[in-house]
Amino acid sequence: MSAEAAQPHSDEVAERVRREVDRALKRNIKGLEFLTAGRQSVGAMDKDLLWRDGTAALYRYRPLLEEIYRVPLLIVSPPSNKGYIFDLAAGQSMVEYLLQRGYDVFLLDWFPPRRDEAHLAFADYVDKFIPQSVARVLEASGESELTLAGYCMGGTLATMYAALHAGGPIRNFIAFATPVNFSHMKAFQIWADRRHFDVDDVVDRLGNIPPELMLGAFDLMRPANRTAGLLNLWANMWNDEFVKSYRMFDRWAAETLPVPGEYFRETVKHLIWENALVENTLEIGGRRVDLSKITVPILNIVAKHDHVVLHGSTQPLMTATGSTDREEIIAKGGHVSLVAGPGALRRLWPLIDAWLGKRSV
Amino acid sequence: MSEKQLFDPASAWADMVQKWEHEINSWSNKLTESEQFGAMLGQATKVQLAAQKAFGEQMETMLRQLNLPSKALVDELAERLDTIEESIERLRLAIEQNQVEPVEAPATPPPAPRRTRKPAADKA
Repeated sequence: MSAEAAQPHSDEVAERVRREVDRALKRNIKGLEFLTAGRQSVGAMDKDLLWRDGTAALYRYRPLLEEIYRVPLLIVSPPSNKGYIFDLAAGQSMVEYLLQRGYDVFLLDWFPPRRDEAHLAFADYVDKFIPQSVARVLEASGESELTLAGYCMGGTLATMYAALHAGGPIRNFIAFATPVNFSHMKAFQIWADRRHFDVDDVVDRLGNIPPELMLGAFDLMRPANRTAGLLNLWANMWNDEFVKSYRMFDRWAAETLPVPGEYFRETVKHLIWENALVENTLEIGGRRVDLSKITVPILNIVAKHDHVVLHGSTQPLMTATGSTDREEIIAKGGHVSLVAGPGALRRLWPLIDAWLGKRSV
Repeated sequence: MSEKQLFDPASAWADMVQKWEHEINSWSNKLTESEQFGAMLGQATKVQLAAQKAFGEQMETMLRQLNLPSKALVDELAERLDTIEESIERLRLAIEQNQVEPVEAPATPPPAPRRTRKPAADKA
């Protein structure tokens, strides 16, 4: 082959130059639009508020099909994040996907805790908010059992509830990126090192814990992520879909919620320091949280590139629970892409549907 | 046949950002493994909280002198609004329940979906 033949054709070069100039122009125009735009709207599906108690709010999404599965699904959102991550926008909404597949979907979501809610602790979530939500889901659906699912710390709280209310109405349990073994949460171990981190002082001074304090731990794990995200945004500013998606995720991250001080104190002391769920020493309301009491079918979903909740930190769900029906999915992507984004729509959610459908009749 | 690829600035930029991100994150991971780093972080949190408190107190004094509401006052108002919003939601739910239960189908509500769905494989 001659050297000339390997050279790119002049038309191709011209086309490439034209495209890059066009993108550069769009970057400037859309960059200005980006800076002056309001908040990106989120939420694709219609929902109704069923119950609210201070920080806790239970929603029911309106079913899309005339024939749905018998067993309703309750998703517990992490107390530090808004639950609209499950329903960002049409085409990348897990809720939309589940409704289209015929599930009756409920969401336990959180408002920022008020100052007089700084005392809320594990017991309030596990023995009050989740049981009350469960009762309302059963009442609204007319069923006697449900599938309980939780994401991140929402999954951890749901795990505690499942262990303490064994023999109750849970038919299936789904954990999305749910930390249980906190010895694998390396960055949090460093950030909240008991030799240097005075959690009592922090909680006593602040009451509710502002999100900036917790976001510090995330930045510690991946300090370059924010800057890299902005650089990627600039490069893709010409692409409306990329910008829209960036703005939705950015809004969600910026709306990280404060958490009640007592909840934070217990998370640090019992989970990060004592690893009490694995050591079988956690007590809530005078009862020990024993993972082996969980005997319902479990689906453990982990992200391959999750730098927040590593695979190892979810493993007690697969090894220490009493269930004989346990499955695990290790999905491509990171912590958030399990529950939002077009990749999960194509690869992960159909697997969840296949697992859950036959257990929801 | 071998083809010489055109230089693609967008893809080169993306590669460069990805490499840079990876390098910085790996470097940070190594740095944060030491106990000294943990000690420094703990100390930094303490200093940050103390500074926040001192700044907050100074700012509050200044705002009071200017006859402006402090952050604490705005927070209190926001909480009151939140409580009012919650009460309205409760009232709305109560009213809706009372309306729906005693009055028999004023304007036929949409039929509840049948809870009889089966997975596709079972149906076949």
